Amino acid sequence: MNLDETKSVDLQEDELPGLHNSSSHRSISSNSLRANSIKEVGFVDLRSKEVRYGSRGGSNSMSMSRREISDEDSRLVYINDPLKTNEKFEFSGNSVRTSKYSVLTFLPRNLFEQFHRVAYVYFLVIAILNQLPQLAVFGRFVSILPLTMVLLVTAIKDAYEDWRRHRSDWIENNRLSSVLVNDSYEQKKSKDIQVGEIIKFSANETIPCDIVLLSTSDPTGVAYIQTINLDGESNLKTRYAKQETVSRIHNNEKINGVIKCEKPNRNIYGFLAYMEIDQKRVSLGPSNIVLRGCVLKNTSWAVGVVVYTGMETKVMLNNSGAQSKRSHLEARMNREIIFLSFFLVGLCTVVSICAGVWLRRHRDELDIMQFYRRKDYSGEDVDNFKYYGWGLEIFFTFLMSVIVFQIMIPIALYISMELVRVGQAYFMIRDDNMYDETTDSRFQCRALNMNEDLGQIKYVFSDKTGTLTENKMEFQYASISGVDYGGEKTDFYEEQGGYFAQVDGLVLRPMMKVRVDQELVRLSRSGNDTKTGKQIYDFFLALAACNTIVPIVVDTSDPVEKLIDYQGESPDEQALVYAAAAYGFMLIERTSGHIIIDIHGDRQRFNVLGMHEFDSERKRMSVILGCPDNTVKVFVKGADTTMFNVIDKSLNLDVVRATESHLHSYSSIGLRTLVMGMRELSSHEFEQWRSSYEAATSALMGRAGLLRKVAINLEKNLSVLGASGIEDKLQQGVPEAIESLRTAGIKVWVLTGDKQETAISIGYSSKLLTSKMTQIVINNNSKESCRKSLEDALITSNAPRTSTSGDDGSLIALIIDGTSLVYILDSELEEQLFELASKCAVVLCCRVAPLQKAGIVMLIKKRTDDLTLAIGDGANDVSMIQKADVGIGISGQEGRQAVMASDFAMAQFRFLVPLLLVHGHWNYQRMGYMILYNFYRNAVFVLVLFWYALFTAFTLSTAINEWSSVLYSVIYTSVPTIVVGILDKDLGRTSLLQYPQLYGAGQRQESYNSKLFWLTIADTLWQSIVAFFVPLLAYWKSDIDGPSIGDLWTLAVVFLVNLHLAMDVTTWNWIIHASIWGSIVATIICVIIIDCIVILPGYWAIFHLAGDGMFWICLIGIVVASLIPRFVVKLLVQHYRPSDVQIAGEAEKFGAIIESRSAEIEMNQHHT
Amino acid sequence: MDALPRPKLKSKKPKYSRFTQQELPAWKPILTPGWVIASFVAVAILFIPAGLLCLSASERVVEIIDRYDDECLPDSYSNKGDSFIQSKDTNKTCVRTMKVPKKMTAPVFIYYQLDNFYQNHRRYVKSRSDKQLRDPGFADETRDCKPEDNLHGDENEPIIPCGLVAWSLFNDTYILSKGNKVLDINKKDIAWKSDTEIKFGSDVYPKNFQKGELIGGGELDETKPLSEQEDLIVWMRTAALPNFRKLYGKINSDLEANETITIVIQNNYNTYEFGGEKRIVLSTMSWIGGKNDFFGIAFLTIGGICLFMAINFILLYVCKPRPLGDPSYLSWNRNPSGQ
Repeated sequence: MNLDETKSVDLQEDELPGLHNSSSHRSISSNSLRANSIKEVGFVDLRSKEVRYGSRGGSNSMSMSRREISDEDSRLVYINDPLKTNEKFEFSGNSVRTSKYSVLTFLPRNLFEQFHRVAYVYFLVIAILNQLPQLAVFGRFVSILPLTMVLLVTAIKDAYEDWRRHRSDWIENNRLSSVLVNDSYEQKKSKDIQVGEIIKFSANETIPCDIVLLSTSDPTGVAYIQTINLDGESNLKTRYAKQETVSRIHNNEKINGVIKCEKPNRNIYGFLAYMEIDQKRVSLGPSNIVLRGCVLKNTSWAVGVVVYTGMETKVMLNNSGAQSKRSHLEARMNREIIFLSFFLVGLCTVVSICAGVWLRRHRDELDIMQFYRRKDYSGEDVDNFKYYGWGLEIFFTFLMSVIVFQIMIPIALYISMELVRVGQAYFMIRDDNMYDETTDSRFQCRALNMNEDLGQIKYVFSDKTGTLTENKMEFQYASISGVDYGGEKTDFYEEQGGYFAQVDGLVLRPMMKVRVDQELVRLSRSGNDTKTGKQIYDFFLALAACNTIVPIVVDTSDPVEKLIDYQGESPDEQALVYAAAAYGFMLIERTSGHIIIDIHGDRQRFNVLGMHEFDSERKRMSVILGCPDNTVKVFVKGADTTMFNVIDKSLNLDVVRATESHLHSYSSIGLRTLVMGMRELSSHEFEQWRSSYEAATSALMGRAGLLRKVAINLEKNLSVLGASGIEDKLQQGVPEAIESLRTAGIKVWVLTGDKQETAISIGYSSKLLTSKMTQIVINNNSKESCRKSLEDALITSNAPRTSTSGDDGSLIALIIDGTSLVYILDSELEEQLFELASKCAVVLCCRVAPLQKAGIVMLIKKRTDDLTLAIGDGANDVSMIQKADVGIGISGQEGRQAVMASDFAMAQFRFLVPLLLVHGHWNYQRMGYMILYNFYRNAVFVLVLFWYALFTAFTLSTAINEWSSVLYSVIYTSVPTIVVGILDKDLGRTSLLQYPQLYGAGQRQESYNSKLFWLTIADTLWQSIVAFFVPLLAYWKSDIDGPSIGDLWTLAVVFLVNLHLAMDVTTWNWIIHASIWGSIVATIICVIIIDCIVILPGYWAIFHLAGDGMFWICLIGIVVASLIPRFVVKLLVQHYRPSDVQIAGEAEKFGAIIESRSAEIEMNQHHT
Repeated sequence: MDALPRPKLKSKKPKYSRFTQQELPAWKPILTPGWVIASFVAVAILFIPAGLLCLSASERVVEIIDRYDDECLPDSYSNKGDSFIQSKDTNKTCVRTMKVPKKMTAPVFIYYQLDNFYQNHRRYVKSRSDKQLRDPGFADETRDCKPEDNLHGDENEPIIPCGLVAWSLFNDTYILSKGNKVLDINKKDIAWKSDTEIKFGSDVYPKNFQKGELIGGGELDETKPLSEQEDLIVWMRTAALPNFRKLYGKINSDLEANETITIVIQNNYNTYEFGGEKRIVLSTMSWIGGKNDFFGIAFLTIGGICLFMAINFILLYVCKPRPLGDPSYLSWNRNPSGQ
């Protein structure tokens, strides 16, 4: 089963307020009903159904729960019999290895992996070619120097990383656990644990492998676990041991059974197995397995049997293979590199053909020609000396020219780019403006190959809950029996610590404080006697009881004071329970059979007689309580859409109407709403329900369907208790951030699981929507109606707007819901939707499932080259984050799953603005310039070598010293481009934030495009001609020697290339100064050192040269003449077609003058 | 709202520094009209006089060139230069005269000029042993010198100096006379000092040189150490380009205008086989070296262009000014609807 598919089913509804569908949902029912076994059915079929983009709704398949696990796909685990289990040695041990290398394998494997990069292979091939005697252009050592350096640096980096992994593996593998050996528990190292063994672990212990629970300290076999290491969610989840095994462990009986389970797979939300025990077959599901890395909480001990170990555990299987994305700029660059390689082949062809012609023309003279001497007369026979025939000579010349011109392909560029990205990441991580105080978290760069893509984003897909909002639910409004409470609120901190309960001399306080309505507090205290009091009592009882929250008592520094932490999977439910507690209905204890609620100091015990969990068809949940006054009541909580269908409107129509209008007003201010209902059951009704409930739970087939029927039968004719409005607060700075992004020309799409009204109201409060916008709402239930709406919408969008100016009146907002998307995505309607969406300024998708989110991202990605960015915080955003070009995880409330899948992670949505507008802009501009500059830098040098080859009878001897040609890209010119790539700023932060439109420079690809590329190539050609031919003409027919003119060319090209860079730098800080001037000085020093080596032919050349006036004239002339065209073109462009960046840069410097001038003008106008 | 105080961990807040916030003090040059015009004018002011200086310097250099390879070939050997030069019996002496056009002040440099001689050919430039030239201990360091490495292929008989470069030593000789007076040609100090003092050993003597089957050029005096064989040293500074001159000697007396110089040439060096040309050049020197109008013209051109640019940009900035940093020029302000 595919991981993504299942995940989507689990999570698709997670934003439905208050009702959770999540699979690990616990069921609490009285012991007598043996309810635990019911759960698996719901479980399995929830995740078993076929999922395509957008499918949602009720589960109807029963097939999976009954599916047999075929023998090939299964493993047999004999409980407490590791010997028999491991008979065939087919299961791996429990030791994990995340390290890649051992001491022995390091060298070969690391080299092998390094040579996966094309660039390194190119290096290697060139170096090998150079080793052939016929082709030895450079000396042996010189030719392998660059490659060795690169390999060495990378190897050291890899070795260090691997050493750290080794260390953490060692710690993991040597942790101790208690394992049942010969009927007693012994401490065993984690790496020695085998499949089939029974292990016992206690609270707060981390589980070392995947186990099936057999028993826990709880008599019903419940264990609470924290999965923070697995999916990052910090709340507690419940897992169950099977009744069949729980008692045996408790009675110290031996367990002999067989578990047949799936082969290890990556799906952490799925587990399919059954256990054969006492000739009975018990099915096992994901709620029975505890995975490696989980921590046992709130349960004093648990015992389980090992099913998956070591690398086969689900968490380890999930560890591997983060898919890597590639930067768009780099992909474009690779196209240009292909062109450069053609250009290289062209140069080599020219040289080798000319060499062939030259040889042919001089073929009769070669034998004794002083500078060729084909014949060797020294031996007995007169042989050809180093001459392999005309054809081969041409071929060798070709290969030699590839070696000489090798840096035409800027291999060093790839390494420089990596260094630059590391540098850029350093600054992004350390940016004060992207540091969040409350969570104490910095910006994180998880992917290091796409910094520059941040500067070209056109679409932002954002999750709502937890991304735009804080995902801290706060109870705001209550509508109780048609009366709206929640106007005036006092801040709770003023009062004495809020509500607390006293139990056995201990003071219990809820951990979270809620602001309360004083009037409602007063009324709720007034008790059960008045009618209003009764209604309020029932309402808060529903809030406190109708949920799956587990209260956990936490110690404080004060020994008599304890805090109650309400743990649960739904933040909405938490908010409701905290609210109930604040109003004096404090949930204190929950076991599987009863709950204890402290009602204004009076501890009351309610028996939980049954519970119908949430499902996506009913969209509600209910709990049957046996109250202290011996009545039996059913409390129901659910979404308004389904709740009003089961409410008996005849009972109290006014209340229903009032509640409905309150709900409408709540959701229109962006609150998440829930409706509470209640009914008292007569003993007859209860018995009827009870028998059908028992029948359903013990049914062998179609359990889930039967249970649903029972629930539907029960949940009817309810009287409405009221409704709640929960606020999910917008994060700080979200409206401003969205406005900035929109001004920057980025389309912001919000994809949310919330309902339409909530989504729209959040849209308004976040300034995504404005009242002037034309709204198109698509909300359909069939493909045909979708088609029609889309057509209508397209007509609307094409119609000329009344407002022509730049205000929002001309903008269209599209609001579309998940159900419509089911019909549109993956069908021929997609095209229409894309057409429509691309005309809209804002797109709001509500009620979408996680996989639909990815589908929407793909809708854009497939059809345009525009870069997309997805930002989200929860597991439901993972698919979207992975699909988008750039994925950003919010490291906030929810777990770390989104962060794990993301390329960048940050704490707040508003950091998107500095990230994109400032860092993205800079990075893009820097990287774009750097690539072009590197092309130029290498091509200039190669062309100078090429021109010289035309004057050496096409034999590729170089005037430039071989050391200089190797050091050229290593020392002479490499540092400034890297430093500029990290530090240059075309504009200051303030301007970029003040004019978000400047972001358009990246979207329009202003720093790197084919026009710039060809301009650069033309400029390169000109500069190389000047740099080569000026010395040539100056020294034509003179007594200049090769090494001297070589030094002149070296220095001229290095000066030229560095000054060219200097001309384009916009922000000169001391580091850039140091790197550019330092490089020039370093070059001079290197040239001097090389010319001080006596055994080189060029000994002392530079000193002779420097004494010659012509040399200096040449240098100045070359630099000036080469740069004039570039300078003039730059000036003309700046004058006639100034870019926005250019103007903003000027404004930065001269802005003060202009502002003051315009102020003056205004003043003058006032005077007149 | 969270009432539980978080345990105080070490804050991850980035330490503020101007460096990490990328706020280092920086100079941000902007190309204002003033700067643009000033830089063009500056280049023009620098380059035009420099060009004139170069031209005048080049103008003052007096240069006499005489091509003699074809002229010195007897008619009977025309088109058979090869056999003429290879034969031991032909008379290689050749007399040429030239007229001094302008006064040449001492020192007058005598060069030989070879054309189409690829001293930068890959096979050729590598065929030498710099170690051997410097140190007698490295006499057998002749790996790169093939086929001129050892005499008759015998490893115990290394050729010093080995390799094609030394082997092809230029060996035409010139005797210059003015009227009947033979001019003294100073052949001392024609090589670089660094070469005679360090690069070529004073205790390395030629050995087995030009004793092979094929004579490539000049011979060396085996009694003189290499450091004193300045012709060889000059020759072994291989030329960068296929048309080159090498210093033959210097005349330390002035040559007056209209004087006739007679040159007696021993035409020994074979350039006939590959169509190379030989010339003798008499030239004075200026601060930019020999006669070369290229720089003068090039500098004047660059200077002129810059002046032209300066004028154009002045006109541009006057006629069609663009206020710098005016936000109304920003694209979204120019056409607000076209976002």
